[in-house]
Amino acid sequence: MKINPMSRFFTSIILTLTFNSFSASTNDTIEKFGIRAGIDIQKIIKSATDNDYTGLSISGDIRLKESLYIFSELGNEEKIISNYYLNSTVKGSYLKCGVNFKLNNDIRTQNIVYSGFNLGFSQFDQRVNSYTIYNTSSIYWGESIITDAINLTDLKAFWLELVFGLKTEILNNLFLGFELQLKNILKQNNKQGITNLYVPGFNRTYDSSNLGAGFSYSISYLIPVVKK
Amino acid sequence: MNKYLVLFLIILTIYNCESDDICPESTLTTPRLIVTFYDEENPEERKNIESLGVYIVKNNELMLISEINGINTDSIAIPLRDDESVSNFKFCKDFSEDVTVIPSGLPNHVYFDYEINETFISRACGFINNYNLSIALPYDPLDTPGPTNWISELIILNNSVTNENQSHVKILH
Repeated sequence: MKINPMSRFFTSIILTLTFNSFSASTNDTIEKFGIRAGIDIQKIIKSATDNDYTGLSISGDIRLKESLYIFSELGNEEKIISNYYLNSTVKGSYLKCGVNFKLNNDIRTQNIVYSGFNLGFSQFDQRVNSYTIYNTSSIYWGESIITDAINLTDLKAFWLELVFGLKTEILNNLFLGFELQLKNILKQNNKQGITNLYVPGFNRTYDSSNLGAGFSYSISYLIPVVKK
Repeated sequence: MNKYLVLFLIILTIYNCESDDICPESTLTTPRLIVTFYDEENPEERKNIESLGVYIVKNNELMLISEINGINTDSIAIPLRDDESVSNFKFCKDFSEDVTVIPSGLPNHVYFDYEINETFISRACGFINNYNLSIALPYDPLDTPGPTNWISELIILNNSVTNENQSHVKILH
């Protein structure tokens, strides 16, 4: 678990740099305007390799001004969270909308470095499939394992995220991107006093704070409308 | 570019913090039942009990609670059964670990009937149980007639067992 995001991160750097050197010699990436549509590859890979996860998301952005993009993403995720005491399944959809600002102005590269913020909203269900009562004296009576599921439906969360990302034009109008997200839950509802262990689109939550983090690795296609 | 990489690394560090997936030992656990001993002739006065040993009675088998093995005390903490809402114990006076007879000393059956309430604690520790005591008897209600030995009375002081800060049950002897 711990090594995965790290290795993915380095793989993306290597891939980006490799693709960069093979990419088209046109140096006008930074000058292109249009609508870009993409999918999150990281979610597809994770769905295929991780038995506890299924997810898909599509995203789009429109370049409004020289350095301003408006961004939106729609997705669905299902995740099993399991440890010694708890086994739960979270399932739901989310929508993110926000703005990104281009940070680099060097026209000799195929890279777009950007930063921005999104507002996210998710509606989901959480099912506690089974749980073991935490009792440090359980050596005497034995552990009590409960398999009657607790269904928590119609949960909602609303959050703000700060993003940093890089997009590289690997072929004409085709972009490979990676993005890191730092998030903070603004509002959420719980049921029966049970923490929302995971929020679709937000990623896992932490007991100690409203902060969270996420990672995406996307491929997107730019439909140029205006070319300056 | 380097400054962006540094930022990415900082976010990745946060992403990797998974410390609250391990249930820390200091976490508030399922509370035990606090039993205090009083003098039967003077019911407001605490009275120590000599060489007390307590066994749990599960499926007609006895198992000694390791901390209560012949101690002199006026209060003990005993775990209640989580998978059933009834617990049975043998409280033994004049207990001796040297004797191989089980139960050792002078046994007195103790019976508790309660309601179990599950309470969510945290992502790592999940749920604990709280109890609501309804019946406390110094004999086994399934045995006829209920023979009482050295315990003259068992009184519920506090129905709600949510912590170990106060006494829940009083025993007169």
